[in-house]
Amino acid sequence: MTVGQRAADETTTPARGWGLNTWDSPWLNFKFLLGVAIVGLILLFGLLGPLFWDTDLAYTGAGPLNKPPVWQEGGLPEHPLGTESNGRDMLAQLILATPSSLKVGFLAAIIGMGIGMVLGSVAGYVGGWWDHVIRTLSDSAVTIPALVVLVVIASYVQMTDTTAMALILAAFAWPGPTRLVRSQILTLRERSYVRMAHLSGAPALEIMFVEMLPNMLPWLAASLTGGISVAILGATGLEVLGLGPTRVPSLGLIINQATTNAALVRGLVWWWLPPIIILMVIFVGFFLMTIGLDEIANPRIRQFSSTRRERTAAGELPAVEHAGLRGGEEEDAALEVDDLHVHYFTPRGEVIAANGVNFSVRKGEILGLVGESGCGKTTVAMAILQVVQAPGRIVQGEVRIEDQDLVSLSGKELREVRWRDLALVPQGAMNSLNPVTPIREQMADAILAHENVGRLEVEARILGLLNDVGLPERVIEIYPHELSGGMKQRDCIAMAIALNPQVIIADEPTSALDVVVQRVVAQTLLEVKERLGVSMVMIGHDMGLQAQLVDRIAVMYAGNLVEVAPVGSAFSEPLHPYTQLLIESIPSIKERKPLNVTEGLTHDLRNPPPGCIFQFRCQHVEQICRERRPELVEREDDHLVACWLYEPERHSLIELEEA
Amino acid sequence: MRGLTKEYVLQRFLMYLLTIWLGSTLIFVIPRLAPGDPVSEMVGRLSLDAGYIENADKLIESWKARFGLDAPIHVQYFRYWGNVFRLNFGYSLSHFPTEAWTMVSDALPWSLGLLTVATVLSFSIGVTIGSLMGWRRTPRWLQLILPSSLTFTAIPYFMFGIMLIYLVAFELDWLPATGAYSRRVDPGWNLPFIKNVLTHAILPVVSIVLTSMGGWALGMRGLMISVNNEDYFLLAQVKGLSPSRIFFRYGVRNAILPALTALALGLGGLISGSILVEFIFAYPGTGYTLYQAIISQDYTVTQAIANLIILVTATSVFLLDLLYPFIDPRITYKRNMR
Ligand code: SF4
Repeated sequence: MTVGQRAADETTTPARGWGLNTWDSPWLNFKFLLGVAIVGLILLFGLLGPLFWDTDLAYTGAGPLNKPPVWQEGGLPEHPLGTESNGRDMLAQLILATPSSLKVGFLAAIIGMGIGMVLGSVAGYVGGWWDHVIRTLSDSAVTIPALVVLVVIASYVQMTDTTAMALILAAFAWPGPTRLVRSQILTLRERSYVRMAHLSGAPALEIMFVEMLPNMLPWLAASLTGGISVAILGATGLEVLGLGPTRVPSLGLIINQATTNAALVRGLVWWWLPPIIILMVIFVGFFLMTIGLDEIANPRIRQFSSTRRERTAAGELPAVEHAGLRGGEEEDAALEVDDLHVHYFTPRGEVIAANGVNFSVRKGEILGLVGESGCGKTTVAMAILQVVQAPGRIVQGEVRIEDQDLVSLSGKELREVRWRDLALVPQGAMNSLNPVTPIREQMADAILAHENVGRLEVEARILGLLNDVGLPERVIEIYPHELSGGMKQRDCIAMAIALNPQVIIADEPTSALDVVVQRVVAQTLLEVKERLGVSMVMIGHDMGLQAQLVDRIAVMYAGNLVEVAPVGSAFSEPLHPYTQLLIESIPSIKERKPLNVTEGLTHDLRNPPPGCIFQFRCQHVEQICRERRPELVEREDDHLVACWLYEPERHSLIELEEA
Repeated sequence: MRGLTKEYVLQRFLMYLLTIWLGSTLIFVIPRLAPGDPVSEMVGRLSLDAGYIENADKLIESWKARFGLDAPIHVQYFRYWGNVFRLNFGYSLSHFPTEAWTMVSDALPWSLGLLTVATVLSFSIGVTIGSLMGWRRTPRWLQLILPSSLTFTAIPYFMFGIMLIYLVAFELDWLPATGAYSRRVDPGWNLPFIKNVLTHAILPVVSIVLTSMGGWALGMRGLMISVNNEDYFLLAQVKGLSPSRIFFRYGVRNAILPALTALALGLGGLISGSILVEFIFAYPGTGYTLYQAIISQDYTVTQAIANLIILVTATSVFLLDLLYPFIDPRITYKRNMR
């Protein structure tokens, strides 16, 4: 999972049900609805036209020849759009031609989609040999130029009606949907809720329709609208070449007759232009539907464009209010985070991911930042690094290294500070190395971006760094995919210490690794830290691992720090009820204890309750907890906690208020 | 490891053969599945045109014998394959002493030239626009301008071509409307001829490029947005690299890989569309020749061209496939994983 996805997980849940009946529905996409409206209007024109206009005029000899439309000189009111060289009325022709063009497209695309869904599900679900055959067939079928084959077929087969043409077009419409359905099934199968359904023994078809289809729906719809326009394009192409059905009026046929009768040179604009305009409107309609559906299917695109709009509206730079008082400033701090607020601006409201986070990391210290997933610890890490992903934004606060506030630095200044003073050991070492460049280049560009050194020296330094983290020298010319997870993570550590930074943020550096490798990586981190005297923020949820690595621990819950303490007293004497819960839940080999999991969800992060954020899960909750938010206060030596239990005056505090 | 492995090349080559086989077989089979047979159809149409043909039955028989259509279908099929392999399609029916293959190979350079230029232009412009649209650091004024380049995306090539001909060639009289070169100039390697060819190519190329680059741009935008969310992209930012290095080395370099696959897969569609462009512009390439062959019921030329176009498409896809492992070092690995 990427950082972006992890952040998005805090705000989105998988689609369940059809989701069409709510006003909050993602289907209310402007582009999609506009497209539907456009195609609907065109369809109405074709369907209702015969009620208002005599369509018999569409046939040869029904009127005078080559009359321009009524608004031009020589136009006749009985032929409002004019007539062509055979005396056919243009309006009547268009009324008859429009629905037949649409019909071909719908029919061909729906048949193709049906075939594609069957083949794609077989390939995705059954897999194995079937998958291989279907994939190979659709891969090669999609590269065959369809129109060429169509043209050849059409030259032998006299297509008498549009249905025949639709059937032939459908033969070329299946590879796209097949590939789509197959890849969607393969992706969705890995999602946890589908796996759950599997484990609970639900039959394959039920999983397909209940769990998968709703999630695939926008993709399928986008593929269908795309398929319809491709089919209309194919049909029109044949008609324009004069190879479609010649007895049924169609938009392409009108263009064919116009071009073969030299309407372009003769200036008979009203002959060739109207069918083109109608076709263009149809294509624009389906195009809008397709890109609208794409945005529905792929929310990142939507997020991307909406944040851009938001940014334009709000001015380029995020408005950051600076905390006036530098409260917890400490003498020997390497990194200070001061009153940090990060909000995610989602379509469904503002999610408060970090709510006034305050802490500092002392020189040469490892500070552990812990909490359950979704508590905002990754958001805090990203905010320190100044890479909060849209739609998130730092709305308030400072992040200081050597008295320099990173939040207010310009792009260029920030670039200089980055990596030289503040480096990152990422969580997903799997995905954190650029897959298409060798290790040498990725390590070199970090060095070269900040120091002016020659190629040879860079090479020597990289080899030294690899050596420092216990990697063999040949790693330098290898591509990331050739390294194991642990090796990648150690390479990331080597990269992080390349410039001897003040502070390293380690974002769950061992979480994706197996236990033995975890040890090695943790050991490497500790060694590096000892040797360089670097300060570290170690983010994680594994309390056991934290206990062994960190000097001080900061516990985060729902966007707030609830306890900050030296690791010794935090484990021997945790103060906050949430910290107590975390420590109790550490599994132990010596004593078997009941798994103590408190039911109850984190509150809705969009509307934090007044009072303590832990009140819904706390066993010691009191009246004051529901009314006033406890501050993070030093209750014992170097031991800070945000909980009313340790405020002796708490009873008089509410009485005071009530009075 | 890196580069081409034997296994990969073999796999792609089999795929290449399969595509050609599939396409050619379609061209062979489908007419025969249809009610009636090509010759009777043809004679039927001739008699429609001429009103009446003497001894139509005998004519059908003799033509069938000439094309070998009286043999059992599997014999026909093997014969057909032999001909495809030797690129021997017999004589053109409409331009008699000329061989079908000669007519086709005369047309091929025009199509290849037109399509290569148009594809390279539309792909590179589209990819550039899309990458910039999908990058958070693109200057705001550029991000406001770029979407306007997608205006013509939804319009099929040939309709745009018709309108271009009307406006630019007839109304404004700036550029020639049809053909590959004027009769006035001497074909050959001389400057006036080359200039003439280039001016004739402008309108067809423009109509292909303007209508197809938007598709690439949209696709690339989506890919770029995904890359924007990748961990390595984030790490590149945190490393303090210059924006241009992040954009090219980490962004475009990764996002373009699926776009190249799409290019390989989309070539078929592109070539299909070019038939109509050539028809509209009366451009003497394979598409136009195919059209004329069909209009004049030139059975042999039709078959030759259809097979050739399939061959060229499959070959370009094959070449792209061979290039791919050099651009994406993971490729052989990935194939094994999938
Ligand atoms: S403040 Fe109250 S609700 Fe919150 S943790 Fe402390 S006792 Fe529990």
